[in-house]
Amino acid sequence: MKNKVLKAIGKLLFKLVIAGAAFFVITFTVYMFNLDMKATAMLAPFLEKWYDKLPHNQYI
Amino acid sequence: MKTVEKIVNPVKRAGEQSPGKIYDEKLKVRARREWRGLKDTLYDYTRWLYLMSVLGRFIIVPRNVKGFFRYRWMMSYLFVPHGMDKFTIGLRDEALRIAHTSFNFVIADVTQAIANCFRGDRRVGNDKAYSDKCVITDENSMVTFMMGFDRDKVHTILREVPTMFASNIFHQFNVMHYLDIAQQYGIPGDVCPMPEAEAGISIDDDFCVLGCCAVQNNTTCDGSLMGNGIIAKRLEREYGIPTFQLATPLRHKEPDVMDYAAREIKKAIAFVEEHTGEHWDWDRYFAAAKRVNDATRCRIAQLEINSTPYPQFFGAAFSLYNDTNYMGNSGRDPKFVDIDHKLLKLAEQGYREKRMYAKEYRHRCIVWGVQPQYTIDMLYWLVQCWGVMPLADMLSIINTDMIADEDTPANREQAYRDMAMLNMEMIMRNHTHGGYKVLLDDLWELCEKMNADMVMMWEHMSCKALTGMHGMFEEQARERGIHIMWVSHDLCDPRVFTRQAIRDQVNQYMRTVMREEPLDPSIEIVPDNEAY
Repeated sequence: MKNKVLKAIGKLLFKLVIAGAAFFVITFTVYMFNLDMKATAMLAPFLEKWYDKLPHNQYI
Repeated sequence: MKTVEKIVNPVKRAGEQSPGKIYDEKLKVRARREWRGLKDTLYDYTRWLYLMSVLGRFIIVPRNVKGFFRYRWMMSYLFVPHGMDKFTIGLRDEALRIAHTSFNFVIADVTQAIANCFRGDRRVGNDKAYSDKCVITDENSMVTFMMGFDRDKVHTILREVPTMFASNIFHQFNVMHYLDIAQQYGIPGDVCPMPEAEAGISIDDDFCVLGCCAVQNNTTCDGSLMGNGIIAKRLEREYGIPTFQLATPLRHKEPDVMDYAAREIKKAIAFVEEHTGEHWDWDRYFAAAKRVNDATRCRIAQLEINSTPYPQFFGAAFSLYNDTNYMGNSGRDPKFVDIDHKLLKLAEQGYREKRMYAKEYRHRCIVWGVQPQYTIDMLYWLVQCWGVMPLADMLSIINTDMIADEDTPANREQAYRDMAMLNMEMIMRNHTHGGYKVLLDDLWELCEKMNADMVMMWEHMSCKALTGMHGMFEEQARERGIHIMWVSHDLCDPRVFTRQAIRDQVNQYMRTVMREEPLDPSIEIVPDNEAY
């Protein structure tokens, strides 16, 4: 019984380490190659078109 | 001419030696992030994760998504990490940590301000009970008249900060749309683009609409007054939000204006009490006054460190943090106290270790005039490219006097005068108004105190407050043997002066007048004119 619990804890820890490592590799790659801002820069022209289409009650 | 001792950095910088390779003219953002050595890159990465978590927590709220698609200026906040990268180029060790600690805190504060705006906004969150306890104030305004109110019951909304000022930090082109709108409606193009953009946002109906009342201030110039008029008209006549005009004397060094200035503060407080139904609490005021004094002591200590050969807290982050703490906070939020002390601890540690942030420090420079250093990584570039260390800037040279912070009958009367003094000597106004004493004499005193041999004089093309003084600066700098480097710009309108056009003025001065070669030639020309 004790062995089973230890094994389950070991498996869980292993999965957590793998998940943590995958999280680090993915996010660090995004960070280092500035992929977050590159993706945002690609999105920006579409957003500008969206904002241009919005009706505004302009007056002075 | 005055000279200062050149200091050569004995320690080779960790990671890559030049940030020049991170720019790519084909991209509107950087090609990649800077390699700062393992320790500092990992630190920068964890701060990037933190910023992502701040943005993530903001956008998971449905009303914030609605606000994002309603307001054009919200697009800027997609570029927060890009903006943060501007203020950390070439930084390592304590300076990197100082820039992140201060500016990350400012970003979190602005994010909260946007969330508050959306919560009360009639078009987005429409939380009427919340909106009825909100007081709108100007972007360029001290909030001392709110120091005695309970922050949980009366909410101070500096509506123009997230809408115009902060959004422009992250995206240099974002206010151009509003400048065009203002000019389409007849506002001349030679007005300062900051209030002009704010007026344009109001004309375009792109401000959040919330609050039970608003307090406007005759801030720093004709442009501000023009913008306030347009904004107040829409607030009062269309949205029914009563607006108080806090008319603050401009000749703030004259003692005979004090009684009048204190009366104006009393009237502003009475106006807020009348419209919010909440009451001024002296215990709260004096607790906030203690925090104002604490922040003042920390700022003085930071400037003292910067007057040594090893400055630590410098650049746009120094100025932006001071703006936020001194003007937008005014002692109301206790969280600033911990940040102040953390920053001071880091700066003291950097000073003890004699940390330097470039290969050489050749000149010690005071940055004066109306500054655009938020939309450009200018001050960090200045030290990396030319070894010119920016020691302090005009907007950070603010009140150094302690205010009354013990609750006594006499101090309650004095408190109105203290609030009036802080309000009169708010950022920008304290040097651009008040005569040549505050604009010229203060500069030369500061050069002496900080042992500076150079002044980088920002010349804002549309600022009428400073342009008349050009000749006096030249003449007095010559008398004192101070190098004065004029750098023209048009604040938040990059069509008038691009980033490289701004840098080229420094490049030309350093090569032709100072006869020097750059420390890092790879960043003398940076292809980021089209970058956000």
